[in-house]
Amino acid sequence: MAMLEVNNITISYQNRPTVTDFSMTLEKGQICSLVGESGSGKTTVIRAIFGLLAGGGKVTEGDIIFEGESLLEYSKEKWRKLRGSDISMIFQDSGAMMNPTRRVGDAYTEYIRTHEKNIAKGDARTKAIDMLERMRLPSGDNVMRSYPFQLSGGMRQRVGIAMGMTYQPKLLLADEPTSALDVTTQAQIVRQMMELRENYGTAIIVVTHNLGVAAYMSDHIIVMRNGKIEDQGDRDYMLYHSENEYTHKLLDAVPSIGGTRYV
Amino acid sequence: MFDEKDLILEAKHVTRRFPAAKGKVLTANNDVNLKFYKGKTLGLVGESGCGKSTFMRFLVSLDKPSEGEILYKGEDITKLKGEKLRQHRQNIQMVFQDPAQSFNPKMKIRDVICEPLLNFKRIKPSEKDKVARELLEMVELPGELADRYMHNMSGGQRQRVAIARALALEPEMIVMDEATSALDVSVQKTIIELITKLQREKNITIGFICHDLGLIQSFAHQVAVMYLGNIVEVMPGEDIGENCKHPYSKALLASVFDIKMDFTKKIESIDSEIPSPLDVPPGCPFCDRCDQCMEICKQERPILKEIGPGHEVACHLYAGKEA
Repeated sequence: MAMLEVNNITISYQNRPTVTDFSMTLEKGQICSLVGESGSGKTTVIRAIFGLLAGGGKVTEGDIIFEGESLLEYSKEKWRKLRGSDISMIFQDSGAMMNPTRRVGDAYTEYIRTHEKNIAKGDARTKAIDMLERMRLPSGDNVMRSYPFQLSGGMRQRVGIAMGMTYQPKLLLADEPTSALDVTTQAQIVRQMMELRENYGTAIIVVTHNLGVAAYMSDHIIVMRNGKIEDQGDRDYMLYHSENEYTHKLLDAVPSIGGTRYV
Repeated sequence: MFDEKDLILEAKHVTRRFPAAKGKVLTANNDVNLKFYKGKTLGLVGESGCGKSTFMRFLVSLDKPSEGEILYKGEDITKLKGEKLRQHRQNIQMVFQDPAQSFNPKMKIRDVICEPLLNFKRIKPSEKDKVARELLEMVELPGELADRYMHNMSGGQRQRVAIARALALEPEMIVMDEATSALDVSVQKTIIELITKLQREKNITIGFICHDLGLIQSFAHQVAVMYLGNIVEVMPGEDIGENCKHPYSKALLASVFDIKMDFTKKIESIDSEIPSPLDVPPGCPFCDRCDQCMEICKQERPILKEIGPGHEVACHLYAGKEA
């Protein structure tokens, strides 16, 4: 049985369906990308999987099944156990998810101590530093003593990934993890996410609008448009065999070296 | 390849230092020399914090360099003051990265676009409607949008409004600071198409800041690569790709996700973070991240040398003739 099954879900905000009839399955260690323009419903889908729909959004039809259990019937308590340990999420700007008036270290140790009730403060801190360093942040101790605004975009994103990966979740949801970053930092972060799968066997769902990034990372690519699945398949199909007009439009838009020149 | 008589703006030995804590000095731009030609695009590429924006702000007189001069048609604009400076601002306009933050949210699109025209008394308030409509149509937006506010528009539409506002005064040159990096790739493409079309029609000079070499190669005539405040390579736009020489330019190139790339290979990227501009190494600024670093690189800072027509590199690996 697949690790995650999303069966024909419809998601509505204030009774207006935003995403309709969306299905996907994900096996352990698989990477799947959701691609599409802003407003196509990509983020809504992964937020639904994480039980974090904003603004009164609800899954009105269909079911989301994670390891054989329906996530839609989870109680608050069960969600709390699941989030951060079995499923975790990385946001577009991890700096914005952290409290700007608290040091990274304080937020991170609190995060660890919420998940592990009996861990001593010092141990939590060591664990956090270890995790930051594993995510290739030089001098984790320094990072722990910094405020989010003192870190660069790439560093903040690494802190976000480190936090998300602390308990080696089975499923990682990443919402435009590299869109706010420089190309060089983007390449580093993408590579790092690929290593998560190699090292921990994490399955990943990535939301992105860049088909280049999606094609590089994923086993399976889903193209979304206006809340519906427009096209899907593996990289080979997407890049070379798809006959979908919209997929072609997105592919054309990726700037490519030696590609179209307008001048 | 560029005609010297088309030279419209030239930056000469521009250096900018900022005072930093504990008596240190942050050198944001170090001896930058660049030339902008009529109707051509110069792309300035580099990572965040390398000094791209600092430099471009000099061009629009939002800041002044500590040393060096910026010649607009032979006149040093860093020395302009008062009314003269105000009048000069009509010649060079700017488009910012995030129009949602650079415009007054309480102003209607019509007022946003017409404000510069009114400031310079180019139109009467009664003409606003007509002019706003024309300008919106120029950037391929329906004229009815003039009644809206910024927050009612999508990112792509906003950026078009920003372009319309910048072009309202019919400047000789516009500076675009990462004008597309907040947009979806598909919207980005349409904006680039619009910019290039307008450039052809109006023969505008463009200074474009960007960090994506894949994007910049699609429309720049000249590309300058900046690293920690230093220009490390200047090349003709079509040379990106096979012909770029500096190890840093190559590293930038290698980190572009291209749909035509070889997916079996691992994506390459420079692993380390960009060093703090407070302690730039004495030799080549790139030496501690470069995998071809030699002994000389640590001691002597390389200078730009010409290695081909319109192509200059600052690297000890390439011994060209002195530029």
